[in-house]
Amino acid sequence: MSTGPGKFGPGDGAEAPPFWVEDPDGAAGEYVLGTLDAAERAAFVRALDQTPALRAAVAAWEARLAPLAATAPAMEPDPRVWAGIEAQVAAHPDAQDTDAAGTARIVRLERGLRRWRFGAAAASALAAGLALWIVAGPRPAPDGRQYLAVVDRGGALPALIVRVDLDRGRVHVRSLAAETPPDRSLELWYIHAGTAPRSLGLITDATETLTVPSDLRSDAPDATLAVTVEPKGGAPGGKATGPVIYSGRLIRE
Amino acid sequence: MKASDDADLARLIMSVAEGDRTALRALYTATAPKLLGIILRIVQDRGAAEDALQEVFVRIWQRAGSYDPNGGTPFPWLAAIARHKAIDRLRQEKVARLTQAEEGWLERLADLGDGEADLARRDALAHCLDAVEPAQRDCLVLAYCEGWSREELAARHDRPVNTIKTWLRRGLTGLRSCLEAV
Repeated sequence: MSTGPGKFGPGDGAEAPPFWVEDPDGAAGEYVLGTLDAAERAAFVRALDQTPALRAAVAAWEARLAPLAATAPAMEPDPRVWAGIEAQVAAHPDAQDTDAAGTARIVRLERGLRRWRFGAAAASALAAGLALWIVAGPRPAPDGRQYLAVVDRGGALPALIVRVDLDRGRVHVRSLAAETPPDRSLELWYIHAGTAPRSLGLITDATETLTVPSDLRSDAPDATLAVTVEPKGGAPGGKATGPVIYSGRLIRE
Repeated sequence: MKASDDADLARLIMSVAEGDRTALRALYTATAPKLLGIILRIVQDRGAAEDALQEVFVRIWQRAGSYDPNGGTPFPWLAAIARHKAIDRLRQEKVARLTQAEEGWLERLADLGDGEADLARRDALAHCLDAVEPAQRDCLVLAYCEGWSREELAARHDRPVNTIKTWLRRGLTGLRSCLEAV
């Protein structure tokens, strides 16, 4: 946008009026058509963020012209498109990561990971981290005593199977394909809505049996499990610090 | 898209906004072929169009929270993301337009099946585009469907770019008056 003599704007040195003020609805229509030139288009996009009336004008044109978009013949995309989307979406949540070397490994771990086969863990909550974890959706009925969670790695082989046996107070963890980055530990957390995550212990390559802390034994129906990457030996001070790489709701068996 | 599909799509977009990747997959299955068709009409290279489609769904993932179900049906919202991505890519690459204009989009509007567009909106748009002066209509349809720029339309009609801009604005004004009167 060029800077004008300041006659129109509020105060000295104000910019010339934007190109769209004379005909905002026409400019919105041309923005939707795609015929604004590069400078106009960039200026219009910036203005859209701050101007609800322009957004409304754009939405109205999108709705008016949409039947014309529907005339495009549908084409089946190559499978690589979805694979690319999935990889980018999986890589996105760990922007809050720690050191550079760890980041590369964790991104690799994240790639190809699918959400838990059961349950409804929200990826946006993954991004927000454990402290902001929100458990959403309907809860299983609270009358069972055996719970199961499965991690799907995107192929046939789950990364982790977690079975919680409340009668015995045991958590059985079968680590099938979980990858632990070198110099790090994977730690399993029990998360109950509204309270701080509680560590259930570290996950190693071997089959593990962990003990459910006694004060948590009635809470399983409302619980989410999450696995984080922590410094070797576990989270310092019992508080999760690393990115969540697996998560899922416990489902009653 | 049918009205019942609209409700399903709106629910899916809202689940995507909550970070539900299964909903993203379902939304992709339901809409990716149509969105790829929209992109491919503008970005004529198949590989480039599929790259754009990938960016479109990453953007949907990031921006699903901004979809307002009370602000309109989901298809125009999705189509807009796809068209803008396609037009951005087309303008960045500044590739010369290789193919002739496809003449049939307006005719296809009348032929859309029941499942492909809201019938009342479709009929109103077809009727009102028909009422727009032919040269203006040609510019509107080629710009919207195939991403023709003012300069390309100027060359096609052998008129100055400013004339094309005037045609586009007049065409839009006429179209809007007509649609609001229907």
